[in-house]
Amino acid sequence: MATPLDRIRNFCIIAHIDHGKSTLADRFLQLTGAVDERNFQDQSLDTMELERERGITIKSVSVRLTYTADDGTEYVLNLIDTPGHVDFSYEVSRSMAACEGALLLVDAAQGVEAQTLANAYKAIEQDLEIIPVINKIDLPSADVDMARRQIEEVVGLDGDSAILASAKEGIGTQEIIEAIIGRVPPPKGNRDAPLKALIFDAVYDTYRGVVIHTRVKQGRMRKGMTIKMMSNGLQYDVNELGVFTPAIKPAESLETGEVGYVICSIKTLKATKIGDTITDVANPAPHPLPGYQEVNPLVFCGLYPAGETDYEELRDALERLQLNDGSFQYTPDSSDALGLGFRLGFLGLLHMEIIQERLEREFDLTLVTTIPNVGYRVLKSSGEEMIIENASQMPAPNEIERIEEPYIEAEIITPTAFLGAVCDLCKDKRGIHVRIDYIDNNRCMVFYQLPLAEVVMDFYDRLKTISRGYASLEYRLLDNRPGKLVRLDILLNGEPVDALSTIVHRDRAEQIGRTLASRLQRLIPRQQYEVAIQAAVGNKIIVRETVKAMRKNVTAKCYGGDITRKRKLLERQKEGKKRMKQVGRVEVPQEAFMALLQVDGDRDK
Amino acid sequence: MIGVYLHIPFCRLLCPYCDFVKRPYKGAAPDRFVDALVTEIERFEGPREACSVFFGGGTPSVLTREELERIFSALRQRFTVAPDAEIGFEANPDDITPEALAAWRELGINRLSVGVQSFDDGALTYLGRAHGAKAAHQACEWTAEAFSNWGMDLIFGAYPVESWGRTLAACRAHAPPHISTYGLSYEPKPPFAKRAREAVDDDVYIAQYEAAHTAFENHLHYEVSNFALPGYESQHNLLYWRNAEYAGFGPGAYSFLDGIRSRNLSRFRDYERDPGGKSEALKLTPSEIRVETVIQHLRLREGLEKRVYVERFGRSLEADYGEAIRGLVQRGLLEDEDGCMRPTLKGFEQNSEIGLALLG
Ligand SMILES: Nc1nc2c(ncn2[C@@H]2O[C@H](COP(=O)(O)OP(=O)(O)OP(=O)(O)O)[C@@H](O)[C@H]2O)c(=O)[nH]1
Ligand SMILES: [Mg+2]
Repeated sequence: MATPLDRIRNFCIIAHIDHGKSTLADRFLQLTGAVDERNFQDQSLDTMELERERGITIKSVSVRLTYTADDGTEYVLNLIDTPGHVDFSYEVSRSMAACEGALLLVDAAQGVEAQTLANAYKAIEQDLEIIPVINKIDLPSADVDMARRQIEEVVGLDGDSAILASAKEGIGTQEIIEAIIGRVPPPKGNRDAPLKALIFDAVYDTYRGVVIHTRVKQGRMRKGMTIKMMSNGLQYDVNELGVFTPAIKPAESLETGEVGYVICSIKTLKATKIGDTITDVANPAPHPLPGYQEVNPLVFCGLYPAGETDYEELRDALERLQLNDGSFQYTPDSSDALGLGFRLGFLGLLHMEIIQERLEREFDLTLVTTIPNVGYRVLKSSGEEMIIENASQMPAPNEIERIEEPYIEAEIITPTAFLGAVCDLCKDKRGIHVRIDYIDNNRCMVFYQLPLAEVVMDFYDRLKTISRGYASLEYRLLDNRPGKLVRLDILLNGEPVDALSTIVHRDRAEQIGRTLASRLQRLIPRQQYEVAIQAAVGNKIIVRETVKAMRKNVTAKCYGGDITRKRKLLERQKEGKKRMKQVGRVEVPQEAFMALLQVDGDRDK
Repeated sequence: MIGVYLHIPFCRLLCPYCDFVKRPYKGAAPDRFVDALVTEIERFEGPREACSVFFGGGTPSVLTREELERIFSALRQRFTVAPDAEIGFEANPDDITPEALAAWRELGINRLSVGVQSFDDGALTYLGRAHGAKAAHQACEWTAEAFSNWGMDLIFGAYPVESWGRTLAACRAHAPPHISTYGLSYEPKPPFAKRAREAVDDDVYIAQYEAAHTAFENHLHYEVSNFALPGYESQHNLLYWRNAEYAGFGPGAYSFLDGIRSRNLSRFRDYERDPGGKSEALKLTPSEIRVETVIQHLRLREGLEKRVYVERFGRSLEADYGEAIRGLVQRGLLEDEDGCMRPTLKGFEQNSEIGLALLG
């Protein structure tokens, strides 16, 4: 029995990071009896190991709930819990396309923050019905009036319609659900029209293969029917479909307005594209759904197999992971120092860290990551123009007419107490002041234009530090601007290590070169021969450090006859040597590449 | 013939850098330990002939005469100790008195190692030792009078750095026939691990190591950390370095018998409950025994003769390790003297490099 359209509500929960989305989702799950109370865990939809460790949501998750309203009518609610961190905003957009409404959570103690605004605007753009919810009213520092005023004045929504809640204590949960039923429109779409279903997510499951997450926009999908991916024409039989309760629950069909999963025997991972439209081969729709805008990565880095991992394993892992996260990109790349690998593009540094960790944990890989950088536009003297995502591709200085770097506009919401420190930070990061808007007596919005390269490094961490966690950041890409940029090379015994080249501002080259060289000096163990570490711009050596030749490598004592343990220690040392990367005659430990990632000059001072 | 090692897991004061199994010497524990040790010796099922006995620790010198008598009587019942066998004993300066020395001699102990560590009060304080320089001098004088075969242990790499020169000079004045010099290491478990960043630079370490090499030029630098006048090498330790057989008694003690490397339970309570019970016993493969043997021999200046290898394993050293050895000779870590491979001074200083190359 298909649920009538007017008994379905599809909504997502959006907010700034940590405002309580996943906690509120817990309350919904409990209220509707979707979870087993005995095994209940907080933020139960954050199932990924990394999410639990870090206490943040990384992936959007959808769940189908059944709720009997006050008037006795049974409703099907599809909830999508979304992440709040700026790097995962793509997840939020993706989820919105499967919804008609959004709950906009505002932490009553924090008020409106950068992603509150950004996500609210996205919801408005997508024409979603937004229900503001003021959460955490149980906190002693909660200021409901302030939150209401900010929703009204900063976001531009009706502050009086905001529902007061404490996701932690379960206050307001029922009222919110009733508001969803009353205010969010049911899905539209003709159930007899040709099938159109949006692929909004997918995962690779070792046992089931590709599991597609989909929202049926019109028509219906049935078990056994033959479907077609509209972007590439590939056809498949539907082996299984169903809904998330949150556990996977098979069904006979998915109807217009419903959200669920489909499993076909999809062999090639590339065949599945997030944002693609599924249709019925027997009765195809003429046009696909609009799909998603391609996301442009902002940060790039090289990823190379290390230790036991080989190139093919890394390639397969990337292919599978991309199915689950369409917001990173990868292309094959190679490095003299690190061999065959990939160049990856990400939406931010946290995104980069998460992808790298997911690859290592979910696929059991050992990886070496190179220093992250942004994309540069290079105009050569020959008139040729190129986009450089990898510092080692940078042409020689004499061939370069001009280098341009991407700029962003940053919008920082901060308590006025930290305004001075925030502005100083922006200035230090080569920022251009735009304006300051005062939200109320205590808070303001600061606008700066900044080189993206400065923002991706350590801007976010430092912003959090100087504002004791209170300032929040949102940014959008502006344009490319010429800059005094140079390529900084690192040489070991005179040989450049391509994987360690970076593009930096000329005024910073020496400082960064010094930091890199002294870090390397500490990380490269003494070897048979002296190792010279140099930082150079063009032909000019700007910094030099030395790793002296090895003089000592001995265990003084032979522990009461523990000869086997000593042999095993040596074997481990030997293994460690094997995992080193060979640069000329120099052995560089993989940790050296990784530890170089934080190009934060301050930490070494 | 095997070596017998007895681990005496007690100290009056626990040194913050030490990684051996030990506990404070107090209460009923020593008594219960001696019971367990005697039981372990009685239960031992291996060979009956001992070519050396060594009391290590911990601090064997904390034991009373009565306790030692019980241990010796168990030993002599279970083992036939060769008449010329070395019976070595580690003692702390604090415990050394003319009376104690006489008692140890009467028990049959014929070699004494004094845990001097340093003749500098500053360094002794840094190392957290109980005794001062004065006590160390006094202990050495008394020991030299009572034992012709004696030695002292010294630690370099401690602070103040300059104390090492003074300690070397003081050591020479006592003219011990045997000296062990150990570089201070900051092992992961003892309290000193937290101070690992204090470890002296490799260059200082080597300078101090070489200073000892020079200071003791009349001694033979016969092992990475050991110096001896001819005939005064530690016979017991030579068994380890030649990868021969030995049985270890006491908590956490290692044994190597019949190709099996094993370790006693090291937690005190476990050991008492099951004296001689093993926490691990590993049957080594022939190739593991071969490589361990070569690695151990190459800690010794006497090195490894090709002939000895063939006699022991029925295989050719050249075929098994020729390439690695040639590389090491080329790097100046080994020298090949008429078919005998010996480590050079550099080969001592980078001894692990030899092992790494052999594990190839
Ligand atoms: N006092 C109080 N704490 C809350 C409430 N709701 C959530 N929290 C706490 O706020 C923190 C963040 O909650 P989450 O539910 O993980 O927040 P989120 O919005 O899902 O965070 P991201 O997914 O990372 O953006 C947790 O420590 C929650 O326990 C509330 O109503 N009151
Ligand atoms: Mg969350």
